[in-house]
Amino acid sequence: MAKLRHLAIACKDPDAMAEFYKQAFDFKEVRRGDGPLAYGIHLSDGVIDLAILRCKTDQIGKGLDYTGMHHFGVLVEDIDATAKKLEALGAEHYMDQNENRMGAFEAKFYGPEGVLFDIAEHPWTGSAALDETKKQAAD
Amino acid sequence: MPKLRHIAIAAKDPEAMAEFYKKAFDFKEVGRPNGVLADGVFLSDGTLNLAILKFKSDQLGKGMDYTGVHHFGILVEDVEKFSQKLERLGAKHYIDQGHGGQQAGYFEKKFYGPEGVLFDIAEHGWAGAEPLPAEAEAAE
Repeated sequence: MAKLRHLAIACKDPDAMAEFYKQAFDFKEVRRGDGPLAYGIHLSDGVIDLAILRCKTDQIGKGLDYTGMHHFGVLVEDIDATAKKLEALGAEHYMDQNENRMGAFEAKFYGPEGVLFDIAEHPWTGSAALDETKKQAAD
Repeated sequence: MPKLRHIAIAAKDPEAMAEFYKKAFDFKEVGRPNGVLADGVFLSDGTLNLAILKFKSDQLGKGMDYTGVHHFGILVEDVEKFSQKLERLGAKHYIDQGHGGQQAGYFEKKFYGPEGVLFDIAEHGWAGAEPLPAEAEAAE
């Protein structure tokens, strides 16, 4: 089964917000990125990559001043097969991103009601792989 | 370590949206919440609860027409302890929510963190969400 492995928050001050979640929940900082789409800090709870971003483009049509929950990401076994399936189900492909993602690649889609999500085949930094889930299930 | 175990999406038509995610990713339907705050569908990927909800109040201050990812939830060992810690760190307590019946024992506290971002903390997981690793080990 595909797995929810990434959650992104849009904010004005990623450094301050990341500090809060690190102190509050002991989440670990796993990466800082500054790409064409956003500047941000990636935290991990060991399973999920929590991206705290200052977005540089308006990906969700809510304006650049929007702060709050932004999008989520699903780890899949086969990105091409999933992309085809998503389009068959009516999702709209928005863009692909591979910049500065350490081997990872993601495709962004708008699902029902324009809700943005990513799919990726390689885990986001600090997030669990699909195999680890299988391994955990087998333990 | 606390774990992210809940993501909530605000939708106008939770039924249709849930159907999409069930078909797209094989997420399983694990509940149909009908509460004071929202109605909708609970899905699970085996680890997280994905709640697709039609909200009945404007919790985010973005208006009742808001659709999109709404809030997230973190499973913690001790809600009271974490509440105190969150308030010390400047988070603002918003509301407590409990359910009887099917979800007896379920209780969450909602907080506004930095920049007003809403999140829940709970000790007893959301439907279809995996328990904390320590609990799972203790139960074995």
